[in-house]
Parts: sequence; C-alpha cells; structure tokens
Amino acid sequence: MLLKTCDGGNASNFTAPGDESELAAFVEESYARRRALHIAGGGTRVRWAEVGGDFLLTARGLGGIVTYEPGELTLIARAGTPVEEIEQTLAAQGQALAFEPMDHRLLLGSSGTPTIGGVVSANVCGPRRVQAGACRDYILGVRFVDGKGRIIKNGGRVMKNVTGLNLGRLLCGSYGTLGILSEVALKTLPMAESQQTLAFGGVSAAEAVELFSAALRTPFEVSGAAFRGATAWLRVEGFSRQVEYRRERLITLFRDRKIDIYGEEESRSLWRGLRDLHHFAGTSDAVWRIFVKPTDAPAVVAALQALGGDASLDWGGGLIWYCGSGDAVSVRKAAEGGQATLVRGGALPASPIFPPEPKGIAYLSAALRKTFDPAGIFNPGLVDG
Amino acid sequence: MSTIAMPTPDEAIIARKSEIVAALAAALPAETIVSDPEETRAYECDALTAYRCPPLAVVLPRTTEEVATAMRICHGLRVPVIPRGAGTSLAGGALPTADSVVIGTMRLREFLEIDTANRYIRVQTGVTNLSVSAELESEGFFYAPDPSSQLACTIAGNIGMNSGGAHCLKYGVTANNLLGVRMVLATGEIVELGGPLLGASGLDILSLICGSEGQLAIVTEATLRIVPKPEGARPMLIGFDSAETAGECVARIIRSGVLPVAIEYMDDVCLRAVEAFSKAGYPDCPAVLIVEVEGSDQEIADQIERIRAVAAELHPIEFRCSRNADESQAIWKGRKSAFGAMGRLGDYLCLDGTVPVSKLPYALKRIGELSKKAGLEVANVFHAGDGNMHPLILFNANRPGDLERAEALGNDILRLCVDLGGCLSGEHGVGVEKRDLMPTQFAPDDMAIQMEIKGAFDRAWLLNPAKVFPLEASRPHREGAATCS
Amino acid sequence: MQTNFTEDQLADPATRRSNEILRSCVHCGFCTATCPTYKVLGDELDSPRGRIYLMKDMLENSKVPDEKTVKHIDRCLSCLSCMTTCPSGVHYMHLVDHAREYIEQNYKRRWDERALRWLLARILPYPGRFRVALLGAKLAKPFRKLLPDARLRAMLEMVPARLPAPSPSDHPQTIPAENDRVKRVALLTGCAQRALNTDINDATIRLLRRHGCEVVIAKGIGCCGALTHHMGKTRESHQMAAINVRALTAEIDAGGLDAVVINTSGCGTTVKDYGHMFRNDALAEDAGRVAALAKDITEVLSDLGLKDASHAEPLRVAYHAACSLQHGQQVRSAPKDLLKAAGFVVVEPRDSHICCGSAGTYNLLQPAISVELKARKVATLEAIRPQVICTGNIGCMMQIGSGTGIPVVHTVELLDWATGGPRPSSLGQVASAESPRAQLVSA
Repeated sequence: MLLKTCDGGNASNFTAPGDESELAAFVEESYARRRALHIAGGGTRVRWAEVGGDFLLTARGLGGIVTYEPGELTLIARAGTPVEEIEQTLAAQGQALAFEPMDHRLLLGSSGTPTIGGVVSANVCGPRRVQAGACRDYILGVRFVDGKGRIIKNGGRVMKNVTGLNLGRLLCGSYGTLGILSEVALKTLPMAESQQTLAFGGVSAAEAVELFSAALRTPFEVSGAAFRGATAWLRVEGFSRQVEYRRERLITLFRDRKIDIYGEEESRSLWRGLRDLHHFAGTSDAVWRIFVKPTDAPAVVAALQALGGDASLDWGGGLIWYCGSGDAVSVRKAAEGGQATLVRGGALPASPIFPPEPKGIAYLSAALRKTFDPAGIFNPGLVDG
Repeated sequence: MSTIAMPTPDEAIIARKSEIVAALAAALPAETIVSDPEETRAYECDALTAYRCPPLAVVLPRTTEEVATAMRICHGLRVPVIPRGAGTSLAGGALPTADSVVIGTMRLREFLEIDTANRYIRVQTGVTNLSVSAELESEGFFYAPDPSSQLACTIAGNIGMNSGGAHCLKYGVTANNLLGVRMVLATGEIVELGGPLLGASGLDILSLICGSEGQLAIVTEATLRIVPKPEGARPMLIGFDSAETAGECVARIIRSGVLPVAIEYMDDVCLRAVEAFSKAGYPDCPAVLIVEVEGSDQEIADQIERIRAVAAELHPIEFRCSRNADESQAIWKGRKSAFGAMGRLGDYLCLDGTVPVSKLPYALKRIGELSKKAGLEVANVFHAGDGNMHPLILFNANRPGDLERAEALGNDILRLCVDLGGCLSGEHGVGVEKRDLMPTQFAPDDMAIQMEIKGAFDRAWLLNPAKVFPLEASRPHREGAATCS
Repeated sequence: MQTNFTEDQLADPATRRSNEILRSCVHCGFCTATCPTYKVLGDELDSPRGRIYLMKDMLENSKVPDEKTVKHIDRCLSCLSCMTTCPSGVHYMHLVDHAREYIEQNYKRRWDERALRWLLARILPYPGRFRVALLGAKLAKPFRKLLPDARLRAMLEMVPARLPAPSPSDHPQTIPAENDRVKRVALLTGCAQRALNTDINDATIRLLRRHGCEVVIAKGIGCCGALTHHMGKTRESHQMAAINVRALTAEIDAGGLDAVVINTSGCGTTVKDYGHMFRNDALAEDAGRVAALAKDITEVLSDLGLKDASHAEPLRVAYHAACSLQHGQQVRSAPKDLLKAAGFVVVEPRDSHICCGSAGTYNLLQPAISVELKARKVATLEAIRPQVICTGNIGCMMQIGSGTGIPVVHTVELLDWATGGPRPSSLGQVASAESPRAQLVSA
C-alpha cells in the first residue's frame, strides 16, 4: 500500500473490540466476507488512509496489565495497554523495557496513545537496541487472532521456551499482516540506577562511526551510540559507581579527544530526544529509517546529504535517520547495501514504504502470509507482493 | 517397549535404497555417502539413546551446494531427510527413521568472515559452538550462547533448537544472537536471510528458522552477533539445606535489581557425580547455586556484596567465591559436564521443562514427591535464573520396564511444568521426547498453525517429519503431502 | 547406555569389562569434539562415539569383524584425548584394546597388511633388529618414490638422516647417585627409542644422578609391549610385559625401588596399565606393584625439585604435550612447570590437546591421516615462533621433526642442560641471535 498523510479512521468504519473473543468474531466475519481490514494500535505511528468500505480495526480496546512479576522479569499485558502505563508500572519496581521504544507522536504530529501491541507489531526500538537488543528480543509469548479468526497462543511467560515454532518473534515487526495481537508477554529488566553521556564535539560521521566501533568493542556496555550535527554521544549506564568507572575508562580510551560529560538529567533528556527524533520533528520533509552496516554509514550519509536534507545516526552507525527531499528511488539507491523504510511521507509523492524483498524471500513471505491470512484481509497492499 | 512411537517406515522407500544411494552417489563425492548397514548404525540416535533406528543412508556434505544437491535428490525421490549437527540433542532431534536419509552438517567447518568493527562473525554451521569463541579470542570478543554441550555441539544444531545455556540470563539465547543464515529448503533451493544489519523490514523469517528443529530448512551458514569479552567474571557458590530455599534465593536475587550473568542450580546427587569428574571443590550441600557476575574487579566485588546480602537473609550454609581463574574454570567445567557426569550413576532421561522462577520452590518439592511415588531417583541440575529445569530421571536401561516408568515420570514432571505456567522445553527442543505432550501446552489451533507453517516451507513434509508434533496430529499433513507433487 | 550381552558373553572377563565401559557411556558426544581423526575426517564413525558403537555392535553380536568396522577402529590413534574429555569416565582405552585384540583374533587382514604388521611387530620392539633395519632403510630412502605403497614410503620418510651408535648406558647396570642417594629408581630404556636416539637416555641418567637418584638398568628389561599391544597382538605384548614385570620385580625384591622411571610417555601409559593387563593372571600382584611405581620422568623430577637450574639460555620453548602423557597419564603441568623453573619461556600451541599423528606405529599404518595431523600440528607450533620444540615422547619428536626446521628435543635434554649438562646437540646454532623477549613481542 502507498503511504499518504496521516489521518484518522472515520467513525463509521472504525472498530475497537473490547475483548479477545469479540475481536476474533469480528475477524472471522471479515474472513467470511473477504472484508479487508486495516490493523492499528493507538494510531500514533501511521494512520492508514482509508480504502473503500474497509474497516480500521484496532486492539486499543483490549487494555490492562494481566500479570507482572518483578522477580521473574515478566510482564503480560493486553495489546491495547498504553506503553506509558506499562513503563510506569515497571518503574515503580525499578524495572523497564530495555529496548526503549520510540514514541512517534512528535515526529509524525500524531495524537493518540501508543499501545504495547502497536510497539510489538512494528518491532519499535530505541537507542538501547545496539546493546540490549530489539523489541523482538523481549517477546516471551503472544496471543493473537489470525486471518481466519482463530485465537492463537504461542510462547508463554517464561524466559526460555523452545516448545514449537516461535511465532511471537515473527509477529513482532509484521505490521499486523499476519495477525492482530491481543496479548503480549514481555521480558523486563532492572532499570539502570544511573546514566551519563560522553559527548564528542566537532566530529564527522566517519569519525563518529570509528569512535562507536572502538567504544562498542569495549566491555563497558555502551548503551547508546548516536551522532547528529557534528556531535557523537556515548551513553553508559549501571550502578552509580559502575557508571563512573565506565565513564573514566572511556575517557582514557579517547584521551586524545575533547569530551563533555552529561550528568543524569541532561543525559536522559538527550537520549529521549534522540530516540523520538526531536531534531526532525518540526520539519516537513520525508523521514526515512535506514539500516546499514555501521562501517557503511558514512558513505551512505554523504550520498543522502547530496540529495538534500540531513541525517543522524543511531545504534553505533547501524541506523541512519534521513530527513530530506530525496525521492524514494534516489534514497534507496543511496542506501544500497542497506534497507530504507519510509516513516514519514512528508511532501513525497506516494511511495512504497518498504524496500522490495529479494525473490527467494518474497516467495517465503507470501507463503507465510497466505498461511496466517489466507483471504488476504490484514493490511492488504502494505507490503508489495 | 518405549511408549514413544515412530511412523511405520515406508517399505517402498526402503526397497528403493540402492536407487536412492546411486542417485546420491552419482551427484556427490563418494566420501560424502555412508550407506553400509554396519556404518549407518552409528547414526541411529543422538544423545537421547533410548530411541534408536539406523537411517537408510547418511550424507556428509562439505558445501552448501552439496547439501542442496542431496536435498534436491531426496526431494525428487520423496525420501524423508533428517538433519543432524553434532548429534548432541537430548530430545532425539536427530533420530532417524528406517526410510530416511540423514544429512549431517559436521563437515561444514569453515570460518568465513570476522568483522569486529560491525561486530559479527560468519561461519559454516558445522563449526562447534565453542570454536566460534576460540576463533574470536584474540579479538577480545566471544559468541555468547553457551549450551552445556558447547564443546561438541554445532551452530547448525544450536540454530535448529534455538539453544540456550547458562549465560543466556544476560546474553540471551541463540535467537537473540543470530543475525542471518544461508539455508537450503527441502526442495534444494538455497535462500539467504538477514545478515549483518541490526534491523530489517519484511517478515522475520529468521526467527521461525531458529528453533524449527530442522523442519523448515537446513542452515549451512550463519552470521552471528559477537560480544566483547567482559573484563572479568567470577562465580560464587551458595549452598542451602533445602531445594526450596535455594529456589527462593533465585527469585530474590533477581528482584533485588542485580542481574547476574548466570544462576545455576545443582543438587547433592548431581554435585557428587560432577565433583568426581571436575574436582572443582563444590560444597557438599543438598542444594547449591552457582551465581556468576561480570565486570571489573570493583564491579564484581560490588555485585557480590549485593548478592551476599540477599542470600544472607536465607541463611545459606555455605557462601564462597571462586578465588582464581582456574577455580572458576573448574566450577564451570563441572557444571557443563553435569549431564555426562551423571552417566557415572547410571542411565537417565534428561528433561528440559521451564517454570516461572517464583514457582521453582514448589516445582522442586513436587518433583521430589513424584520421584518418590515412581520409585525412581531424580537429580536436579538446571539454569535457575530463568526457571529452565533439567530433572534427570535415573533408571536402568538394561532392566525391562524401567525406561517406560522413567518416561511416565518424565511426562508427569513436564505436565507439572506446564500447569505451573511454564513450558515443555526451555532449550533442548521438542524432538521426539516431548512430541506427544505438545497438546498439554498447545490447543489444537495453536498447533495447527505451526504445522501449516511447516507445510508452507516444506510442502511434501520431508524434513524431519515425525518430530515436534504428535504423530496423530501431523498424520494428515504427512500423508497428504506424500501425494502432492 | 543400554547393552545387550548374554550371561554367557559376560562370563568372559574382557567382555564383562567392556560391558561396564559401554554402560557408562551416555552418548553425549563430547568426545567427538576432541578426537583428531573426527576433526580431519568429519564422519562420526571416525570418532570415539562412532567407534564405541561399532565395537558395541561387534562384541554384542560376537560378529566376525567386517572390513568397515576394522577400518574405522584402525584409524583410531589411541591418543585417548576422548578420555580426558569424557565426563562420565568411559574407559575408552580398555575398550579399544579389547576390540583390537578381538579383531586380531577374528579378522583376516589382506596379505600385505598382515605382512606389514608382522614385520613391525618383529622389528620395532627389538633395538638390535631395528637398528639394522634403519641402516638398510637409509640406503633405500633415496628410492622411496619408486614404492607403490604409501605405508612403505611413510616408513622410509621417517628414517632419520643420522643414526647414533648404541649407547653403553643401555646395558644392565646400577649407576650411583652423584651425591647423597635420595632415591633408587629403575629406568626403562625403551626399544625403538634406543635405536633412534641415545641422547635421551643419557640425559635422563645424568639428570637423575644429579638429583640424587641411583639409576638401575634392570637385567632383561626390554620393550614395554605397547607397540604390539596397540596392534591387538596380545600374546606378544603380554610376553614382553611379563619379562619386564619379572625383571623389575627382581629389582624391587633385591634393593627396593622408589620408582620405575619412563622417559617415553607412550611406554608410560602401558606400564602404568600393567595391573589391568595382568589382572586375571598369576602375575597380577607383581604387575600391580610395578604399575604403581611407574612414573614419567617429569613426575619424578617434580617430586625432587629442580636443583640449580640456571645453566641454559632462556630459549622460547614450545611445549608439545604428547598424548600418552597428557591424556594417557594425565600428566599435564609437570613438564611445563619444570621447563619454566629451568628458566625457559614456555609457550603452547593452539589445540594443544590434539595428537601430532605419530601414535606409535600409526604414522606407518595410516600415513594419510598422520601426515594431515602432522601438518596441522607443525603449523600451530610454528605459529607461536619457538626457538625450540620440546616434548616427552620419541614418537612425537620424530613426527614433528620430520615436518619442521625448528629443532625438536626431549624435555629431559633441556632440563639436563639447565641443570649443568651439555647443550643438546640438535639445538645447533639456534637462538641467542634473537632474544626471546623480542620474539614474544613480534609474535
């Protein structure tokens, strides 16, 4: 499907079932009628343009934390539970979602409330992904409704589980094309007691990536490695004494450079801004998320900048955010070897959101979609093929 | 006779053995094929020896292309294929049937690329888990998942079973450390998934492959995430007078906000067997936790103090830290050899059920009761930090009826795990061992969709067809597929 | 794992022992990882676990061994790396010894194979015959390319360029300690080693005397039996072993012995197992006593402690652990500790637990695998840039020496030098040119 500007579903074809069986019944009926559905969570990320008489189906009506066991690092929540509610509940026990999900609202100018189901469906991660893993790495189990309206359970609430195929990880990042999540079980982690950030001014993208590679091969568990303008940042977290130790070791490692240190508060607000792309929030150009091999990042950034606009780096160079006027074909060409996804359409003419899949994989993906959603009613056209 | 059945082998396929072997021999180097009945016997089982059956033939390719050739031929002739790594599965994942061809990955042993700037290594999957870390040693990196059989098990098998290990409490299991694969589908088609990138659009098929027990594809190359080695690591041994107290200590440590890299549990039966092999100087207590922390000397000391304080509330009868690297090595060598060392006491069935950590004390108590009722001793050694239990049911394989009693007790224990909110298998895989218990954890639809996925990858149901799903449930798929073109 | 022997079969002590061993195996597969032939060939049949299966099948069914089974068991080096690795304590050595004996008795090898084995069994254990054979072989060596058989070529390849004259040290005698006598020890002078290299025994004797040992060369002492034992020729090997048991028992009874010193670790493994070998024999008790006294030279020296070890140059020494020492006898740190105490910089190659491919007569009977293992071993040794390679077994010395230009010496030669003996002649002009420290840095 082609991305257009964000807009809400109109009331006549908007459905938000209040429980799982209602959700299943609605999908079952849609399956029988071959009625295409647009699947959404809180509607903060991308609100799909309406097509014909189809429905916008959201799980935001399924709310609430089912169980939370801090001693087991486990939280189970219904898919419509607001991310904020989860984060607050965890914080009260000194825990957090380690993958640090991004909040898209400011960047996209959207309203609404991000839900955990939406986060999981899109595998939304933040800067800590480089050290702690993606959202996908924290999925312990899911419940979802497939394209025939069957309620499916997979995984569970324990941290290690290899019983049967891992559908939770597969559903994560499938953008609702395989099923609509009704419940997710997540692994939580203790929240770092303290954090600080080392800022390196006056560096190029190439220098930043070199710096990141050097920092990320140390044992100091650098949990953020981002670059914007001419500044590179490294975040260290842990117990207070640990943070000081790690900071000092990194300062020694980069003793030839001038380093500014951000304390607790300043560091937190910096990384929130980097996570949510505050720096591109006020602009109107298209925003692209581009995965590359970190050492390829400097060349890709240069190519993107040549198209007009600006780029920032995260994940030690493995993630490029590009905000600019380059057209889709040129951006994808500049990102060759990587993968470019359109996150905000901006002034671009309608363009495919995702890069085309290689042939061998496209065939498997299609077979999988057909397995989960034989009638092709979930977010049809979102992914080519 | 064991209660676990395998499908009746297809006599028509067995009758065509010479044709099948000839087709393989015509396309592959002679030394890749093992077909003499004297020789195929060595491939009749993996590390679960209770179930055995020699395959029709064994193919040991050296390249992805040779794997593809073998798969294409078997697919063309409609011969089931059993993938095999190092044959260390405790779940019978590599158990053949008489009408099947085993394809082993043990000769795929090349290290293809190390990229420390982008933090990955690319290998052929027949390399052993431990050799990957050995290869990275001089670079200051390691490959984190560390199944206890890491000395011998291969990356192919690790991917097949989504293997865990002691240190996955901090570093995650195979799925969390796998970036990409090159693999061969049942038809012989070669497909590449993922790669060095930290993200990808499109469906995460890789996550399906990891842990698919060789039912979707044979993975021949893998791109693995590599992690910097910690500055130091130090295990401590905490001894308790009861299993329940040790179990309670685990939950309290985790709740305290310290996240050790590993929390392992061993009971006295196990400790004695392991001590005989490793001479690590384990305390002689009913229940011992091995808790390991990492970092600089100061970081380690700080964490030990926090853990000591938590443990002290439960009055351990022993608390001591490893004094040096040799001692730490001995402690881990012992722990990782625990299953093997138990062989000193007799035959055993090794279970792999997981329970929520808070349920550990209760689970241990119930297992003790079930063991007494069944009249079979059960030793416990497991990854406590994530509730992944490994009850070892001791029996005498040479005494008729013993295996069946052990199986029955095993089933009771696994049902208990599921009832407590856990699962049948935390890291070994379902294989044949837990296959028939799947309905205790999955409703029919939960299982149906998984079988449909298998069918999407392997329409003819030729790859490891009799595993994971109860034969009754998979029969329509297997038989329906046999006639498909 | 489960076994299927009948009561009748279990009445045979050898089968009973094999059953015990098989029962303790849990088929975990750890042994595959450290098996040299599995590393080279990648077929489980060429791993301990695969061989255990083949042996189990053969013994359980009292089968006439088939060609394939024999092939895979013949390929076993008996390096016993698997025994070091095995957590459940499977005594692979006794099992494979039994299987070899069973094969020797129940399998008819091809004529050329039989002839070759017959020849080896009749020459190698006898220093006199071996010396004559070596001289003949030296003459033939230039023509080895003309030979059609790889095994025969391998034999000629192994013939050293320089052959020593017989050493007077090997004659039966009692050599007094240099100062106050601390111990009285018997030295096993070996068989093949005596013909190939006389420096080792000479250095051993000097070293022992310097450390207060009276050294006895027992009358009648000969080959320990290992060479024939590994070919499954139990009758011959037991005969030879019995001679030694009697000779050493006589010395024990005469003047008492504190140790039977062995400087060829391949022999050490066998002598230490004499008790098992004769467990059902009238000699059981004597054999047990001899076995209990058997010590590798480095074990004895560790006990005594090195004296005034300040005479050698501090060379960078690569220590190659002979399998018979590290796996067969589980002697691992003693040689390295002694070398360090003697002032050498000791380095070890990667995969130090893997065999060099010598393994008694293995390099002659399985030249292809042996050559591959040699190449791997030499590559890992050369990678650590030593000035000299040292090891505790003549077989390894010959094997590695034939693949590298770096001098290879016996551990005792370096220890003898360090404590006041002569500089090993094979060292030549090595070293001194570059300081070990500089090499360390460049490596």
